[in-house]
Amino acid sequence: MKKRAITLTINGEEYNLNVPVHYTLLQVMRDQLNLTDVKYGCGRGECGACTVLLDVGKGGMQCKPTDKKTTYCTMSQSKRKPILACIALAATMDGKSITTVAGLAQNGDLHPVQKAFVDESAIQCGFCTPGMVLKAVSILEKNPKPSEEEIRNGLEGNICRCTGYVKIVKAVQVASKKTATGKR
Amino acid sequence: MASSRILPEFELLIPQSIKEAVDLLGKLKNKASVMAGGTDVVISCTKGFGSPNVISLAEIPALDYVEYDSKSGLRIGAMATLQQVADNADVQKRYPALWKSAAINGTPQTRNMGTVVGNIMRASPSGDCICAILAIGGKVVLRGSKGKREVSIDDFYIKYRETACKSDELAVEIKIPAPAAGSCNAFARMTRTTLDLSKVNVAVRLDMSGKTVKEARVAIGAVAPTTIRLKKVEALLKGKQITDDVLQKIVETVPTEIKPIDDVRSTAEYRRDVAGIMVKRIILEALGK
Repeated sequence: MKKRAITLTINGEEYNLNVPVHYTLLQVMRDQLNLTDVKYGCGRGECGACTVLLDVGKGGMQCKPTDKKTTYCTMSQSKRKPILACIALAATMDGKSITTVAGLAQNGDLHPVQKAFVDESAIQCGFCTPGMVLKAVSILEKNPKPSEEEIRNGLEGNICRCTGYVKIVKAVQVASKKTATGKR
Repeated sequence: MASSRILPEFELLIPQSIKEAVDLLGKLKNKASVMAGGTDVVISCTKGFGSPNVISLAEIPALDYVEYDSKSGLRIGAMATLQQVADNADVQKRYPALWKSAAINGTPQTRNMGTVVGNIMRASPSGDCICAILAIGGKVVLRGSKGKREVSIDDFYIKYRETACKSDELAVEIKIPAPAAGSCNAFARMTRTTLDLSKVNVAVRLDMSGKTVKEARVAIGAVAPTTIRLKKVEALLKGKQITDDVLQKIVETVPTEIKPIDDVRSTAEYRRDVAGIMVKRIILEALGK
């Protein structure tokens, strides 16, 4: 197998692709699909610039059979989990659905996290921002009212070389307050 | 020079069942590497150390389980991610050492991709889950063309980056026994930053009878070609109450049982200096002191 036909949903749009099997998800998105809001940083799973959110189905209890006798159930706490596009092979993503920062806005309204990043000036050069915003969204989806420590632990995998972490943490706190009161 | 943006070409195989994966391994033997979450395998490719064939377990159904039963203990499937194990209530309650080794592993993103079984199979001397499981005890379940076999974690690591898993076998599960009453365990590691690999990691399991240690298992990583058990320290603990004298003797004994090296993360000297104290502290932590 040198190429594999896959179906991949990105920001709600379905793509039928024929991907070389050694291509990463990042390479397919940036080079084949021109989706350049996903950034190439270190390419080795260390910086978080290429973070995307993988849809893992509906939250709540999910049960599936392991063999003829037993079934196992998992409780999923959030619907989307952050992964790294630079170390995911596109060919292994058949049938998956992902969200990038370009897919967060709804009906032209920015996501509360995006709004908070703008309002709090949590952006300096902007290169880490797509990954940071997605990571922040996933933190709040899992835990709508995180403490500062929980925010900082959650952002561990995203590096900002301008070192503007204070404002980024503040932006997540502001977004947390807004989403907790249901305002977008 | 390999690029991390464009990987060198390799053949990717995506078996749909364990049997199909085992057949492929039987055919390709050591010319294939098995990929679960890809956090190690893909990065090896970016560094130019990739294998010509990569076998992905991504589409084998129902390998991502974490199940606990008070009789049979804990079973972790080959595709269960570090985050799944860290989020599991039974792991949090009964195996704090394993919980911590998964919960601090890498970054939130890599924990959503990387697996505990992958961490075991990578056989890095600094593998955090390896250290925790070596202390707690457990078995690696291997499937090969001749059927299934289970290898104790005590016999699993042969030498640097080499395990008892043969080239035509697939690790499908880790089994960890249910903790007996009075048993406790804990894990700690030392790193420069939270994202770094461990300079030294330690884990203990103490089976207590009142204040006396009935049985002890002490594991330490990144101070020898494989993660090792400290047999002299275990002997010092067995049958004893944990007093300051016993702890002091342990602090002095640990450096005699390890063979650390200088590398990018630390020096042999530093590792030898901190290892004893780390073991002492993790014993106290396991006992809730």
